[in-house]
Amino acid sequence: MAIINIQDLVKDYDTNGIAVRALRNVVLTVEKGEFTAIAGPSGSGKTTLLNIIGGLDSPTSGTVHVVGKDLAVLSPKGLSDMRLEKIGFIFQAYNLIPVLTALENVEYILLLQGTGKEERRGRAMRILEEVGLGKEINRRPKELSGGQQQRVAVARAIVSEPELVLADEPTANLDQKTGAGLLDLMHELNHRKNITFIFSTHDRMVMDYAERLISLTDGIIVSDEKKKSRREGAVITKPKKMKSKR
Amino acid sequence: MNHGKKPLIEAVLAWRNVWKNKRRTVLTLLTIMVGSAMVILFMSLQEGAYDVIIENAVSANSGHIQIHEKGFWEFRSIDYALIPDKRVINALKADPSIAGYTERVHAAGLVANEEASEIVFIQGVDPEMEKRVSSLHKAIRKGGRFLKPGDATQIVIGQTLAENLGVKVGDTLSIISQGFDGSIAGLRDLSIVGIFKCGNPEYDRYLILMPLGRAVETFAMGKYITSIAVRIHEGSLMPEVRERLKNAIHDDRLEIMGWDDLMPEIMQYVVFDRASAYIFYFVLYITVAFGVLNTIQMSVFERTREFGIMLAIGTRPGRILSMVVIESLFICIIGIILGALAGSALSYYFIVSPIDYTEYQKELEVWGFITLTKVPAKLAFSYIIETSLVVFITSMLFTIIPARRAARLKPVEAIRKL
Repeated sequence: MAIINIQDLVKDYDTNGIAVRALRNVVLTVEKGEFTAIAGPSGSGKTTLLNIIGGLDSPTSGTVHVVGKDLAVLSPKGLSDMRLEKIGFIFQAYNLIPVLTALENVEYILLLQGTGKEERRGRAMRILEEVGLGKEINRRPKELSGGQQQRVAVARAIVSEPELVLADEPTANLDQKTGAGLLDLMHELNHRKNITFIFSTHDRMVMDYAERLISLTDGIIVSDEKKKSRREGAVITKPKKMKSKR
Repeated sequence: MNHGKKPLIEAVLAWRNVWKNKRRTVLTLLTIMVGSAMVILFMSLQEGAYDVIIENAVSANSGHIQIHEKGFWEFRSIDYALIPDKRVINALKADPSIAGYTERVHAAGLVANEEASEIVFIQGVDPEMEKRVSSLHKAIRKGGRFLKPGDATQIVIGQTLAENLGVKVGDTLSIISQGFDGSIAGLRDLSIVGIFKCGNPEYDRYLILMPLGRAVETFAMGKYITSIAVRIHEGSLMPEVRERLKNAIHDDRLEIMGWDDLMPEIMQYVVFDRASAYIFYFVLYITVAFGVLNTIQMSVFERTREFGIMLAIGTRPGRILSMVVIESLFICIIGIILGALAGSALSYYFIVSPIDYTEYQKELEVWGFITLTKVPAKLAFSYIIETSLVVFITSMLFTIIPARRAARLKPVEAIRKL
């Protein structure tokens, strides 16, 4: 079942009166449960593509269906609700609300969704345990390392069990070891919960982890290959035992 | 999924964000506190001064209310006189707000001794009843006395008049005027028993008091008098008492006037001075509002990316707007409470330790105002409420600008900001 269906997507930006085409007639279908990386150099259009899939930006032309909904017909409120209910977001850095603790950051999504206090707290605690931050729940973002902050962001992105997680260069600000730990975690969640993950990246390690690699150059998909994840066959470390490193 | 009422998350976020930058919040709180406190203090000092000015003017001679025959106050002529009938007296006696009333006879005339003459305003008064209405008996200079029952040819005059005539206590004067019946009214050998200085230049310059009985006889008034002056316990109740008297007496031939009608120049001064003060208050209110605007603007600017992330993960713009407004609300409420406390404390200090204006007496007299000595502040709950409401409304209105800006952020652009 296709979770994303994009046809003839074009995106132009107006930069000081000059039209810059960021995406050129992109056609893309992503099936549920895929672990996909969109790779390409800076300015290739990968973040723009991710933003359009997430309803954060609008296309110049073309159609974008996400989880069965045509984004063009959704109102800003409808887009906001779709993001809340169906999509989890992970950004490069500074993902979290600084005045909330790790637990509250994760709870925030459930709270917006109207989940009751008991259930909210229980789910947030469980997911933080799963990402190895069970002991850090009361720390605020500035008291956490970059890797820990990204793991809280992952927890927040999946706590409501969305159908799709969009991650914009999630390992860009992490060292290799921490980045690998984070990718392990997301891969594990992808397999266990069947959540679709799409990354934008120019990090070789992320590309290696991906089961599908889409290469983007100057707004054009130049290659789209399904492959084995580097991680497949590897011993999966149980997330509960992941060590928290500050 | 229920997207309805969510339990106070905006309030929690707002409260924590308020204290995220403590120094800035404290400075903003100080701006609101000092601004509100200044307005409350100045209002208290100002209204206290008005009360003293009005009270001095009222107690010097006019009383809070006067009853005359219609036309008397316009022409100040003895031709307009009334008989104080039972209906009038009963209405005055029945009103619990009335502290005292006194009947008077007024006439314009000429006073003279061997060396000089002056135009004067003669006022026949009942010595005992007069004391319950006016304070001229307290303004008698050393060596003299006020009128007393049994006096007949004794008079009390203002100090400026005494100086102009070159007379002192014990000297005699003659008066010539016109009687109620049109006859010439004259009196010789009126003995000065007291000289008053009430601070009101008009009274000090023109007023002569003589016993009521003698005035009635001299001016051929018969059963008539020209006015009844009324003093009430609580000056601020004057408008209500005036209305009650009008309703109780209900006589179209009479005019029942409050001090604001009798001395419109004082009311005009108060109105003008209040208007001037409001310009000052307005500047303070705007300064406070700009302080709040600056803080919220900076806070929103610094958190552009944070708002972008919040919008991206599904926070509706209305929630962002609410959060920013609630932040401002917290700052305003705390600042206003502190301002109200500080303003009240300062005002209280000036209630128990009034400002002494004695050294400015000469200047005040030039302006035609009655003696101001110690002027206590006057603190009313309404000043605190008025100030707090204006500061609150102005600041919250100014908050709308950054709050809307935050709510209208485009997540894709906001996320790029660091």
